[in-house]
Amino acid sequence: MRSVDATLPPVPGIASADVLIDRSARTRFRLGFDRAMGWLTPLLFLVAIVPILDMVYYVSLKAVPHLTWTIITGTNPYEANVYLGVPLYTTFYVIGLATAIAVALGLFGGIATAELLPEQWANAARTGANLLVGTPSIIIGYLGYLGFVLYFGWGPVFIAGVVTLSFFMTPYVFRTADLAFSSIPRHIREAALGSGAGPSQYIVRVGLPIAFPQVLTGVFLAMAIGIGETAPLVVTMQPGVLVPQNLFSPAKTLTMVIWENFQSPLAANQVLAFEAAFLLLVIVLALNVVVRVISARYQKRLEGLYQ
Amino acid sequence: MLSYLRYSAIAPGLIPSGIIVAIVIALVFASKLTLLHNFFGFNWNPTLSWGIGAFVAGSFLTAIPALAFSMLIGLGLAVASTTYLPRLVASLLDPFVDLLAGIPSVIYGIWGFIVIGPYFGMTINPWLADHLRLIPWFGPPSGNTLGEGLPLAIFLLTLMALPITTLLIRDSLRAVPRDLWESGLALGATRWEVLRRVALPYARRGVMSAAFLGFGRAFGETVAVAMVFGSTAVIPSNFYGTGYTLAAAMFELVDSSYGNFQFLAVLTEMALVLLAISLAVNIIGRRLVIRLSTTEVAGV
Repeated sequence: MRSVDATLPPVPGIASADVLIDRSARTRFRLGFDRAMGWLTPLLFLVAIVPILDMVYYVSLKAVPHLTWTIITGTNPYEANVYLGVPLYTTFYVIGLATAIAVALGLFGGIATAELLPEQWANAARTGANLLVGTPSIIIGYLGYLGFVLYFGWGPVFIAGVVTLSFFMTPYVFRTADLAFSSIPRHIREAALGSGAGPSQYIVRVGLPIAFPQVLTGVFLAMAIGIGETAPLVVTMQPGVLVPQNLFSPAKTLTMVIWENFQSPLAANQVLAFEAAFLLLVIVLALNVVVRVISARYQKRLEGLYQ
Repeated sequence: MLSYLRYSAIAPGLIPSGIIVAIVIALVFASKLTLLHNFFGFNWNPTLSWGIGAFVAGSFLTAIPALAFSMLIGLGLAVASTTYLPRLVASLLDPFVDLLAGIPSVIYGIWGFIVIGPYFGMTINPWLADHLRLIPWFGPPSGNTLGEGLPLAIFLLTLMALPITTLLIRDSLRAVPRDLWESGLALGATRWEVLRRVALPYARRGVMSAAFLGFGRAFGETVAVAMVFGSTAVIPSNFYGTGYTLAAAMFELVDSSYGNFQFLAVLTEMALVLLAISLAVNIIGRRLVIRLSTTEVAGV
């Protein structure tokens, strides 16, 4: 305003240029409202932050005082409501195998969609992946239950849960692979193809090294989501007290322990549920941090490629 | 050679779509689309009356208020982090919202049932029932003291849909061209006015897609709702009553259906209803959003 003051010619009948500043009640309200929103909307972050902290605090409060190394790793099947070793190892088996299947199902599809498919087919493939992400997990559980458990006659066993869970994780791997390959700068692709590489050589020699961190992010993300999934596993696996001996053994993961025990009238069972919840929370939060770190570093690297 | 490679790429590309087709085939095959007695009614009394109305009603009664709350809060959060907060502060706070999507639903469930539930049951619900007694459906009785019931389910679903709505609205507000912002500000509008008159109308497709996809998430949520909604196959008697949603009922009743063809047929038909609604909502939501800048949040 000051610079305007300085250059304004004197106006006959007006003592100072001050009257040019709008001080009406309406303007004061507009400015005040804007400022108030600037303070109020950030307060809404409390709605997200307080529940997370409360969750972490209470789950730790109920679990940590009881938690010992023996409880985490113990596998005595006669003490299945004290030790968490069996569900913990089973969770890793389930998630490991399911991730392997999900990568096999999703990775090639994602790369093919980004690099090879004609536009219409690629859009159809992306729509399918997006819709599968939006499909409720219980419905994928029903596919496993109706298909593997009943129709194929496998019964409620380890492998039925694993394959069902991998269907659930596939679209996440698929979409990040697609996104990673689509976001490689165009000039790199053109340079590779222009210097005589075929499409498959380009994908393996050029594309994959660039896109690898983000593909890895997708795999970790799929693991973080799959490890916390309950519904597809509860309907496709019979809870067992041993680490699965083969693909057709009963199996029980950490999420199933929580689901079985959260409503129990026995205090010991509730403690077990909270211990399982605590382990699960630690694993999931760690995976989420890994995802964030990798993707932040990848972003920097990708920005470097554009120069 | 090239075309051969291209066509061989169609098969892996269509795996996710193939899984959806497999789901539809499995559900139709297992249910044979038999419409048992009183299927569209509200009376659930297995082997005599198979009305799924109460489950559908429970799903809508939980999902719609949860969506409304999470849209309001999500809009506020997106506005705060795109318009008002400094970039650094926003980039520190946003991950907390995204983290809400990463927490497993079973942990929401146990936290809701054991930690938050009694607080709802003994403090919030009686207080609400006392103060809203003049509004027909919201008066006493205030439900059970464990807190199982609509308010707790709505609360958890609001938190679970929040990352999706926030992320989509935030993304679409970020896509508003800077020119529009700067011309608005240069004309003398406040930040709020530019947001309200320029940015939000520009981003309206993104906001609408947030509503649809957030609804899809809230509508299909299974385990957390099954843990806190009380598991009774009736329409909630009042705002504090217990009930069932489609997904929760499918999840908890599948054991009872073993060896009973009729029971399994009804459950798979409920799955078809749930699938049809969530596919429809997702198709509409995806058509509205053009391209997301990130896929690093579960369920988006």
